[in-house]
Amino acid sequence: MEDFINEAIDTTSLPRFEEVRLKPLHPEYKKIMWFNFGLTFILTGIACTLVFYFIEETRPYIIPAAVAYISLLLFSAFIAMLSFRNRGFAFRTHDIVYRSGAIGITTAIIPYNRVQHVALHEGWLARRLGLASIEIFTAGGISSDIKIPGIEKIHAENIKQLLIGKIQNEVSDEG
Amino acid sequence: MRDDFSQPQRQSLVGVVVMFTDNAQKLVRALWPMLIVILLRTDKDDKSYLVASLAAGVLLLAISSYLKYINFTFHLDEDNEEFIVRKGVFNKKRIAIPLDKIQQVNINQSVIQKIIGVHELEVDTAGSSNKEVSIRAITHKMAITLKSRLLQGKKETPADASAEPVQKDEKPFITISLASLFKTGITSNYVRSFALLIAFIITLFQQIEDFFDYMDINDDPLDDYISTEIMLQFIAFIITGILLLTIVVNLSRTIIKYFDFRITRQPGSLLLSYGLLNTRNTILRAEKVQILTVGRNYFQKKFGIQDLKIRQAALTEENPESKKSLLEIPGCNDSEKDTLLELLLGEVPEKGIMYKPNYRKLVLGLFVRVVIPVLFYYVIGLLVPELYVAFIIPFYVFFAAILTFMAYRNSRLFVTDKFIIRQKGAWDIDNDYVMPHKIQSFKIYQYFWQKQANVGTIIIYTAGGHIHFGVADYNKMKNLLNYWLYQVETTGRHWM
Repeated sequence: MEDFINEAIDTTSLPRFEEVRLKPLHPEYKKIMWFNFGLTFILTGIACTLVFYFIEETRPYIIPAAVAYISLLLFSAFIAMLSFRNRGFAFRTHDIVYRSGAIGITTAIIPYNRVQHVALHEGWLARRLGLASIEIFTAGGISSDIKIPGIEKIHAENIKQLLIGKIQNEVSDEG
Repeated sequence: MRDDFSQPQRQSLVGVVVMFTDNAQKLVRALWPMLIVILLRTDKDDKSYLVASLAAGVLLLAISSYLKYINFTFHLDEDNEEFIVRKGVFNKKRIAIPLDKIQQVNINQSVIQKIIGVHELEVDTAGSSNKEVSIRAITHKMAITLKSRLLQGKKETPADASAEPVQKDEKPFITISLASLFKTGITSNYVRSFALLIAFIITLFQQIEDFFDYMDINDDPLDDYISTEIMLQFIAFIITGILLLTIVVNLSRTIIKYFDFRITRQPGSLLLSYGLLNTRNTILRAEKVQILTVGRNYFQKKFGIQDLKIRQAALTEENPESKKSLLEIPGCNDSEKDTLLELLLGEVPEKGIMYKPNYRKLVLGLFVRVVIPVLFYYVIGLLVPELYVAFIIPFYVFFAAILTFMAYRNSRLFVTDKFIIRQKGAWDIDNDYVMPHKIQSFKIYQYFWQKQANVGTIIIYTAGGHIHFGVADYNKMKNLLNYWLYQVETTGRHWM
């Protein structure tokens, strides 16, 4: 308390989150994204084919179905590409900034002093590519959490250590 | 009556009755379809079988209740600072709750507990919900003592913990009178009642149309005249009936739930107790409050009353909006509201700088709530003509447009350096108060069609739910976000 100063702050000179340079996801993550994308569409494709093959009454709808399938495929591919390009993250001195989205762009920000815990996920394909995803939890519930995929494994480990360090600092500060 | 909780002990012996009713309730709830079938199938002349099986069921229930009672013990482990509950007849369970993890201890009373004169003690912990413990039957004196002992272990609790246990005879400083409850009861939940009314009218008109179609009425015009008049009278009667009924239901619900609402000041916290049939006692700690909402509608404003809703830090991480963390204080007058705000927020917040939404919010609202539903209904009407009643559309458009416009007009954000106040609502106008140091995280978003106009939406997450504001000037929202980030990141205060 002794060195407490309470000066008026210049709100215009505050650091701006929108000016921070965001790091894009690792290019290898595209492989995972397209793999999941392909898997979804191949499975739905197979399911549709089976329906058309076994249930004859559905045959007349084969052309509209194909048109719908292909336009959905193209649209989703476009969205996926956009969403990859829009994603980016930054670890600032006091918070995590994560931008994502395709139709709308969302920026989520969690201050380090509000992080509850951190999880590191490695999928089957991600492990082969040397990638991992980091999930950061707060007490604000599921929708307030951030999950950043496509980070290099070593980098992700470092981030996790950094965050855990920050959390422990917080705890010892309070105690 | 021991005040020493170091030895494992059972609940009050009458607790068996509580266990019994609990079990019976559970059983009936699970098996009621089967019970009905059995009742209907039973031979009318020979009831002996039914009586015998009923007796057997009651006996089994009684035995299992007794076994449950015998196997349920609780005690305080002073050495490890833990509260320990053992339970389970076949599968033995031992639940140990470290005292410093205990968030809240509530003392409640249901109708049955009231009749046999025992209380329920509920222990809430931080963390997963399955670790919660409740002792179903305990004397009042013991409940009070145990509660103070349990809460003493809380390390963070400031000096008050070591002081007096709980002065139970302390006078409440706020009591909500029956008159206030009455006013709240007749003025709240209009939207729900209104929706119910609309739904009823729609079905009624369908019935009437079907009826006319079915009868193929084509008689004397005089007959028609009489029948329409009678019909109109009948409809008016029904509508008044429903209005009265909803008011009566709302009124009795409010009074039964909140009867004798008393707020007592305790060191570091407030004790709320209320309820006509089921009495609830809940502790409210200022530091646990995450979002405080003051809500009132036009009539309540005229009466000078308002509701306070308090969202506390959620007990489970998964579901911050869970009902359990929501507390309501109905029918406060202005001075009571100010006292509560002062106690819970430290001061009565000023409104500060005002932010308005962009007019696009109104356009979007009208599109989503008026245009799309009408189109949707029209398409349904094309597919299923029986469901299409054309005269409903102008009514709907009128009310939906008015409500949307009012919601737009009331949507405001007020910011000072200590508080964020979000005002919202069409008929019931709510003011959400959030203190910046309680914020957990932020989100800000903009759809691609909003880029041109440079508008966007901001969401603020706390441990008791979130508030959002938009569609509004994106630059202003970004500036606010930077400012709040600065506040959260430099604050030394903990969010709970």
